Amino acid sequence: MSMSAPSGQNGADMSTSAPEPTGEVLLELSGITKRYGPNVCLKGVGFQIRKGEVVGLLGDNGAGKSTLVKIMSGVVKADGGDYAWRGRNLAAPTRQETEKLGVETIFQDSALVPSLTITRNIFMGRELTNALGLMRLRKMDRIAADILDSVVTIEGIKSPRQLVGSLSGGQQQAVAIARAVHFKRSLLILDEPTSALAVRATEALLAYLTRLKGEGVSSLLVTHNLHHAYEVCDRHIVMNHGRKILDTTREQTSVKELTAAVVEGELGLQRYRQSPT
Amino acid sequence: MSKPTSDGAPSPTLGGTMEEHDLAAAPAGAELTAPVQRTMADSVPKGRSEQFGGWLRLIRGRGALEIGIIFVLVQIGCVVAYLMAPDSFPYLSGANFNVLSQSIPVLAILAIGAGVLMIAGEFDLSLGMNFTLCALVFIHWYSDGNVLGAFVVTFAMGIGIALLNGVIVTRFKIPSFIVTLGMMLFWDGAALFYNGSSAARMQRGETLQTIFAGQVGPFRGQVVWLVLVAVFFWVLMHRHKLGNHIFAVGGNESAARAISINPTRIKLIAFGILGLCVALASILVAVRTQSVQPGTGRGMELQAIAAAVVGGVSLRGGKGSVLGMVLGAALILVLQDILLLSGAPGFYLNLFIGAIIVFAAVFNRLIEGKAE
Repeated sequence: MSMSAPSGQNGADMSTSAPEPTGEVLLELSGITKRYGPNVCLKGVGFQIRKGEVVGLLGDNGAGKSTLVKIMSGVVKADGGDYAWRGRNLAAPTRQETEKLGVETIFQDSALVPSLTITRNIFMGRELTNALGLMRLRKMDRIAADILDSVVTIEGIKSPRQLVGSLSGGQQQAVAIARAVHFKRSLLILDEPTSALAVRATEALLAYLTRLKGEGVSSLLVTHNLHHAYEVCDRHIVMNHGRKILDTTREQTSVKELTAAVVEGELGLQRYRQSPT
Repeated sequence: MSKPTSDGAPSPTLGGTMEEHDLAAAPAGAELTAPVQRTMADSVPKGRSEQFGGWLRLIRGRGALEIGIIFVLVQIGCVVAYLMAPDSFPYLSGANFNVLSQSIPVLAILAIGAGVLMIAGEFDLSLGMNFTLCALVFIHWYSDGNVLGAFVVTFAMGIGIALLNGVIVTRFKIPSFIVTLGMMLFWDGAALFYNGSSAARMQRGETLQTIFAGQVGPFRGQVVWLVLVAVFFWVLMHRHKLGNHIFAVGGNESAARAISINPTRIKLIAFGILGLCVALASILVAVRTQSVQPGTGRGMELQAIAAAVVGGVSLRGGKGSVLGMVLGAALILVLQDILLLSGAPGFYLNLFIGAIIVFAAVFNRLIEGKAE
């Protein structure tokens, strides 16, 4: 993959301060709509994610974040709107197509199979096999061990042959992230990744996102927790009742403005702008 | 529980110093290549005993360790009882071997079919009726002199009926329990319609009997078929990537979909595997008994599912092992055999088997609960 080459100076710059991200536009959504029966879930949402950018997607329950994530990862088809990847319009891609693009989603309830080992989960769908399709388990175990050694900074995982079901929520998230990173994904979507994590694990995860940025991997952090998002995201998008009501860089916003937008929607945002105190 | 590394030194646990280091370094964005503490890579077992330990943990994770231990204990008990009283408890006699090696393979093959489907997260209650219909079709076609046709039609029938269930379940997203319950009654009626209520008898079946049910050492030929089927499905489920995907779909369907595995396709394959096993088992029975009645397969579906559950297959999918399924079937039939040998009246059979199934289900639930 061409984009996987890390652009060192780019990453170092951005983590300090980058007022307007200038990276290549990776994903551009415009006018995305989706309804489930009578419930209109998304009413024309559009935004961009650039290469090497960490974007926060914020909003209260029912704002449409999860649906948007599912559309981005191709699990759910949008009713209308455009999905462009590096300037190429794909209409409504399937999960198989987004997989090829390098989109990896780490879902809230962690996309792992509890009854299988860490190795089998890491290589799920991308097993190393011989010509007959038999898995090369030893090699997979070895690589999984390497990945966990170099990526995961969560205590307590002892062997890649441990069952995922025996791990804690944080350890499971770490495995899911290790998988995404190893396979050189270009866009990492994390749906409420910190909801199951302890404080230390959360910090490690957020730090890791910053590190990934330096390797040219973009991430979209979907979260309730404004403080987590504010800490690591270059840009913030706030959703309210199926609409995007705010799309701003970290420099141009504050935790207070984001709070007003998330909690009270457009009204709160207006009130904040009239008297930002 | 930290395991020694290859050079015998105790391995430091992950995290600790490394985590603190990363926390400090990463937000600055400068240190991308943190010094790596290679703990996990050293945990890949090298010694024979470590490999054995890993293997034990593995089958425990698949739910087959407990059943394996119970099975071995029961066998030891039987052998001891036989040695103490060979006349009143002829467990190791040739006749008893004969009986067990006829009955275990059929139930075990059905249990493998049912178990693979359960790992994929679905049931097929119509497998007993599918089994009956396959056996009847095989006998009729074979007796009409069409040997090749008999095999082709029987396998097509078994796989076709199972796939039809699969298509209805996946297309309309209805629980397989209710779909296959309806199909069970449907195919029960269809078998009577096709065959009438009298037993179907096989003509000129002697050649087949030597192939499928001949004497192999102290065992019957069915055992060879069971070994072939079990090894094939062990490789498929535990070593092939398709097996990995079947576990994934049953264990966490949305996760499987998220990593671009198609759950519908995997479930259809699992239904097809069940159909294949049902057809093979029905041929084994038809050839051995040379005569099949329309009611032969009634209750077979429950026995097969029970064998899988006793063997540690999870009722919620995603967990189980081929070894466990075979041991589950063997254990049920060995316990039946023990009751028969010790002269228990007939009604004790179901009573004991029922108790074993409930016990096994509760036992597995407790283990699953602990794992969570």
